[in-house]
Amino acid sequence: MTDVRRSTRIALYGYGLLVLAVMYLPLVSVGFAAVSKARYLTFPIRRYTSEWMGAALTSPNVKDLVVTSLKVAVTVTVLSVILGFFGALAFARFQWRYRGLFQKLILLPIFFPQAVLGLALLIWFNALGVTPSWKTAVVAHLVWIAPITTLIIAIRAYSFDPALEEAARDMGASTTTVLREVTLPLLMPGIVSAGLFAFLLSWGNFPLSLFTSGVDATLPKWLYSRMVSGYTPQIPALGILSVIGSAALLLVGLALLRLLRRRN
Amino acid sequence: MGAAAFVRLENITKRFGTFTALDRINLDIAEGEFLTIVGPSGSGKSTLIRLLVGIDDVTSGTISLDGTRIDTVPANRRPTCMVFQSLALFPHMTVGQNIEFPLKLRKMAPDARRARALELLRLLRLPESYYAKRITQCSGGERQRVALARALAFDPRIIVFDEPLSALDYRLRKTLEKELKDLHARTGKTFVYITHSLEEAMVMSDRIAIMRAGRFEQIATAEQIYSQPVSRFVASFMGEVNLFDLNGSDWGGLPVKLSPQAQAAVAVPPDWRGAVMVRPELVRFLAPDETADFTLNGRLHAEYALGSRVQYTVQAGDTPVIVERPFEQRLGSRSGDPVRLGWDAGAVHLIAEVAHGTA
Amino acid sequence: MERLERRLGFLSALPIMALLTLSFVMPLLVVAGFAIMPQKVFSLAHLPDFSSFRVIIEQGYYRSLLRSLGLAFLTTTILFVICWPLAYGMAKVFGRFTLVITLAVVMLLFVSENVRLFGWNLTLMKGGLLEGHMRAWLGTGFESPLYGWPVIVFGMVYVYLPFMLFPLAQGISLVPDDARLAAADLGAGRWRILFQIEMPLAAPGIMVGCLLTFVLSAGAIAEAKLLGGRSVVVLTDDVESAFTFGQNWPLGSALSLMLIVIVALLVLVPISRIDLDTLMGRKR
Repeated sequence: MTDVRRSTRIALYGYGLLVLAVMYLPLVSVGFAAVSKARYLTFPIRRYTSEWMGAALTSPNVKDLVVTSLKVAVTVTVLSVILGFFGALAFARFQWRYRGLFQKLILLPIFFPQAVLGLALLIWFNALGVTPSWKTAVVAHLVWIAPITTLIIAIRAYSFDPALEEAARDMGASTTTVLREVTLPLLMPGIVSAGLFAFLLSWGNFPLSLFTSGVDATLPKWLYSRMVSGYTPQIPALGILSVIGSAALLLVGLALLRLLRRRN
Repeated sequence: MGAAAFVRLENITKRFGTFTALDRINLDIAEGEFLTIVGPSGSGKSTLIRLLVGIDDVTSGTISLDGTRIDTVPANRRPTCMVFQSLALFPHMTVGQNIEFPLKLRKMAPDARRARALELLRLLRLPESYYAKRITQCSGGERQRVALARALAFDPRIIVFDEPLSALDYRLRKTLEKELKDLHARTGKTFVYITHSLEEAMVMSDRIAIMRAGRFEQIATAEQIYSQPVSRFVASFMGEVNLFDLNGSDWGGLPVKLSPQAQAAVAVPPDWRGAVMVRPELVRFLAPDETADFTLNGRLHAEYALGSRVQYTVQAGDTPVIVERPFEQRLGSRSGDPVRLGWDAGAVHLIAEVAHGTA
Repeated sequence: MERLERRLGFLSALPIMALLTLSFVMPLLVVAGFAIMPQKVFSLAHLPDFSSFRVIIEQGYYRSLLRSLGLAFLTTTILFVICWPLAYGMAKVFGRFTLVITLAVVMLLFVSENVRLFGWNLTLMKGGLLEGHMRAWLGTGFESPLYGWPVIVFGMVYVYLPFMLFPLAQGISLVPDDARLAAADLGAGRWRILFQIEMPLAAPGIMVGCLLTFVLSAGAIAEAKLLGGRSVVVLTDDVESAFTFGQNWPLGSALSLMLIVIVALLVLVPISRIDLDTLMGRKR
């Protein structure tokens, strides 16, 4: 780490900052647009207002969207953490015959274009006679998110010593006791991060919701339909509120993880 | 040991896929014994103790304790406890919680658990204040003691050690070896210990079992293994020894001269194949007028200081010979100087060559 | 314990495998089934034919497939070049700054991609954040780069950057510093070290990163819609139209199937070779 020349280090730091700046530039635009008073947006912005944000917060329509998005995200979080916990044990801990195959199969949905997956699910639900709703969106999200939670928890499972479980068992613990007293507490940081990821990825997901949520629009889906039909200040206002919500949740989650780490 | 063996392993075979880790192993362990299994990595010693405590299952063969089969009993119901190489102390629990873990599983009342944990801390010479400490706050040696306390907590009949000292530095390891031997004497429990260091085994054990490629090479006391190894493998495992090839009366070009006593000591049938072992500390540098049963001329090659001893290599013909003597008796000679070596008839031990696996 | 583990492994894999069978494998099989149905039918109870593939060739739908693959290839190449130095910095140079970058980039992943692309629209449009301020301060603006294929590639590079960056950083962190120092010590130059030491040793990360970005951008849809303004039709556009306005499921399925097959060919071989246990840091 110390053999890199000083000039190279400075250049790399500068490059890193530049990339971050570019990455966040569009959110800056959205943020400004959300507080611009003019109905037709042009930069530079001359008069500011909070009326669009206020309107977005109080609109009953928005409330419905948020409720739908929350229903989907919370259900996805709970289910994907449970699936991911057991999936991770099969992925990283237990030695069983088809483990290698299982590991590869789990990766496939992550390596799959989401829009195509959404459309494939749409005709599959149709073939089954299921009307798309927020519940089908949950299934669609799970296909993509449960493998991700599995990987996140598996990484944590890889990092602790298998002898811990063997020792507990050797001292007399049953399979369920080992799971409850040793495995679960040790995997907890991974489970919390996985839950955080699951919620936020589901909350922000657009390509899967687009095709599978039917008449129940999630926030990203509704924003998209508004974006393609023409600009209104409601779009940036809602968009930036959603971002602020995610950021707040992320901070709470990180604080929780820190707490967990200190306890261990 | 006969029929009264405490633990008996009979015809144990363990395969992983096509690889045979243990090949028809037999072993008896007496109650209260300190048995050490020594072998290079991959020799199957870890596999053997994992079968003993029940973490892995035998492919075939039986394990019995006091005459009752235990190989079908799951690990959590065997009266055995293992101290792992990594110690496997739970990082999310305090020292006290770690020691009480097996007691809690056995539904012991909280007060009794605490009393037992404190008693064990005293036994392992840890201050009682450690009860509430986190594992991460303990040093390597302290963790070692906590792991021992935890293993003793539920009073298992056999405690199994999987190289728990291998990660420690030399001095701490030496201290803990002695403490472990002392603990064995005080608790009277059966200890089965594995290590790849014969030196460590010699310090602590009642008996030593040398393992190689899934089989036992020799099971004997430290002294027997030291003076009468059964094979080149066991001999070389103890460190540096002189092993001279001997086929009938042919020394393979080694320019050695034998007295009548020496002739008698190495008298073997003409078709005998094997080696003559001579420990380096029993080889002497001879003064010009001095004699010995075996004598040998060579040239001094190098000198190595080994702390309290000093080691020399001497080139005799094509064969290097190792000589060791106390540091105070260092030689004044230089590399290339001619020297004369000798040893007594009593110093030789014959090792017959046996094709491996047919013993 | 081993027997128990085998059973437990199977049992704990069961829930997620059931999910993936029912809602990943089955839908793909249905897509494959519809791909060989006659045009514009809505059930699989017809005699199979290959009319969809004839339509794809005759009516030029294959062009959108090629276009998507081309754009995806370009995106992947650009991302690799952009991300390598940053990933290198994250793995070998930055200390705490790596954490900052990781958090900042992960945070962006949680922002809906359409909101971020919409943000680029506001940034790059005429009178947008860049052009508007430039005109106000310098008096002259510039033509908006929106609505063309380059801006679609830009959008995909932007959206899929994390999927290249993190695997690359992970891959580079697998390169031991000793190997690089030894090569330098033996007289290897900067480029030789890069091509003959660092890139081969970081290969698993490079492979995962490139595959992820290629596959995701080949199936992307939002970038073309929000930045390309429908001036460029990508494959997923055609698939969506066939399924929705066109009401031609067999055509949509056949188009999807072609993408799926290409993705599968690209992904399955490398994935089957990667040892996930070591890549993810297994201890024993």
